[in-house]
Amino acid sequence: MINRKKWAVLFLLPGILLFAFVFLGSLVVLFTTSFTDWAIGRKITFVGLKNYIDLFTGDKTFIESVKNTAIWIGLQSTFHVFTGTVVALILAKNKWYSSPVRAIFFIPNVISSAALGMLFLCIMNPQYGLVNTLVTKISGNTFSQNWFMDPKTAFLSVTMTWLPYAGLVTILVMAEMSSISEDIYEAAKIDGASLFQTDIYVVLPLMKNIIGTSVVLAATSMLQKLDIIMMTTQGGPGSKTMNMPMYIYKTVFTNNNYGLANAQGVLLIILGVLALRIIRGLFKMDKKED
Amino acid sequence: MKILGKTATALLLIFIVLISTVPFLWVLLSSFKTNSEILSGVLGFPGGIHFINYVTAFKLAPLVTFYKNSIFIAVFGTILNLAVCSMAAYVAVRVDFKLKSLVTLMFSMGLIIPGAALIQPLYTTLNLTHLYNTRLGLILVYTALGMPTTFYVMVSYIKTLSYSLEEAAYIDGAGFVRTFMQIVMPLTRPALATAGVIQFLLCWNEFQLALTLTGATEKRTLPIALYYFKSAFASDYGAMFAATVVVVVPSIVIFILLQKQVISGLAAGSVKG
Repeated sequence: MINRKKWAVLFLLPGILLFAFVFLGSLVVLFTTSFTDWAIGRKITFVGLKNYIDLFTGDKTFIESVKNTAIWIGLQSTFHVFTGTVVALILAKNKWYSSPVRAIFFIPNVISSAALGMLFLCIMNPQYGLVNTLVTKISGNTFSQNWFMDPKTAFLSVTMTWLPYAGLVTILVMAEMSSISEDIYEAAKIDGASLFQTDIYVVLPLMKNIIGTSVVLAATSMLQKLDIIMMTTQGGPGSKTMNMPMYIYKTVFTNNNYGLANAQGVLLIILGVLALRIIRGLFKMDKKED
Repeated sequence: MKILGKTATALLLIFIVLISTVPFLWVLLSSFKTNSEILSGVLGFPGGIHFINYVTAFKLAPLVTFYKNSIFIAVFGTILNLAVCSMAAYVAVRVDFKLKSLVTLMFSMGLIIPGAALIQPLYTTLNLTHLYNTRLGLILVYTALGMPTTFYVMVSYIKTLSYSLEEAAYIDGAGFVRTFMQIVMPLTRPALATAGVIQFLLCWNEFQLALTLTGATEKRTLPIALYYFKSAFASDYGAMFAATVVVVVPSIVIFILLQKQVISGLAAGSVKG
């Protein structure tokens, strides 16, 4: 038995070490240095809440990055999840096109976001891009909208690179729907419910948990969106499309201000936990044990 | 009313199919065009199939090196992740110990911490341990990033296995390790496949940490190649299209071949969120 315990510990050890190396160590560095003045070529000095105060009182770009991140979380939690759910309800009717459409819809989610950013950069290019070429063909006038660089369209253009691509939500909701028993559909049919009514009053309430999960995933993915922004606008023009990850990246690698970047990192984690709390509350998702 | 509903449904489906395929197909098509064909904004098919863009892309950028790095990192990042997580999951299911809930919490921590927050700390850690700008550094980080999903998939699968086989092995005198290796591992093959595909895609596609934790061209992975050669290709659109195709195609092929595993892996892994 002692042998068994010893092996159990050894089996857990690699995972624990990796956790400590990647997450725990980083979190300690993140929190402690967020209270310091730390930049390349300078000594680390404790400055208390100065970084946080600076961010909220004097840093317009930071405020804008928080605002944009929050707007994107809001949009992604609603429109994105709604789109994915509607498509799932349609495809769940098991038509001949259901599984190919589900697969096709997921392709933009399965390729690297950097590549997706590149695809959009190409199709929205002002000179040769597909979008402008089409508009020119249809309208007959030369159309040269610079989608990603024009302050009027930049935010919308970036949003469109992720908002409609809800293939993951569709897959998740469909997987959950497949566990609904046939009897429930039968019963609804006998009660005279139409397919649409069945979806709204019977299926959707049963999907509450997976929709909640999808909202969580959609919201938290917006705390990670560095790749597409990096490929397309880098936060510009001005800071129209600046989000928190992009500003952290800039603070670390352009301004070399580590203390300030880590204060932003702490705030990013707090925003994530906050979003998670709110969503769990809204969906009354109880902590399931497993 | 019914016709209206059907039309709306059809339009929505056509719309999502178009937005999911057209960007990629257009780039694929354009990758076979000459630069002048691209710039003249001709829609339709290219005047002939030109592989020259692919040749240029491979000449301009060390795509072969990037490919090798991506494959190396994704393969070892997946193997290590599966090994670490299945061992831990086995213990979490079959052995009773005091700090079990703490260990479980640890393995799922990654879900609530956005990688972007850890950019600078990880950069510091890897520099201190001389793992900055190494493939090993990225492999370790990706192994940890994928722990929540793999751990969860493995735990839920091992729970469904009956204990009688393991019990028989113990009675026959097999030890803990041997039982795990010879009885449990073979049985968990479907779960390993599911979690493995998801982990492989994570390693293959990851961008923000690959960008910040490597510095030299010879250590970079494919997604970063696109970022760096966005400017190098600035005047050679055809080559840029070709490079994009070269990066995107493996993910799509893996997904199409292993659709079942991807879908069940996502469904299982998301529940934890």
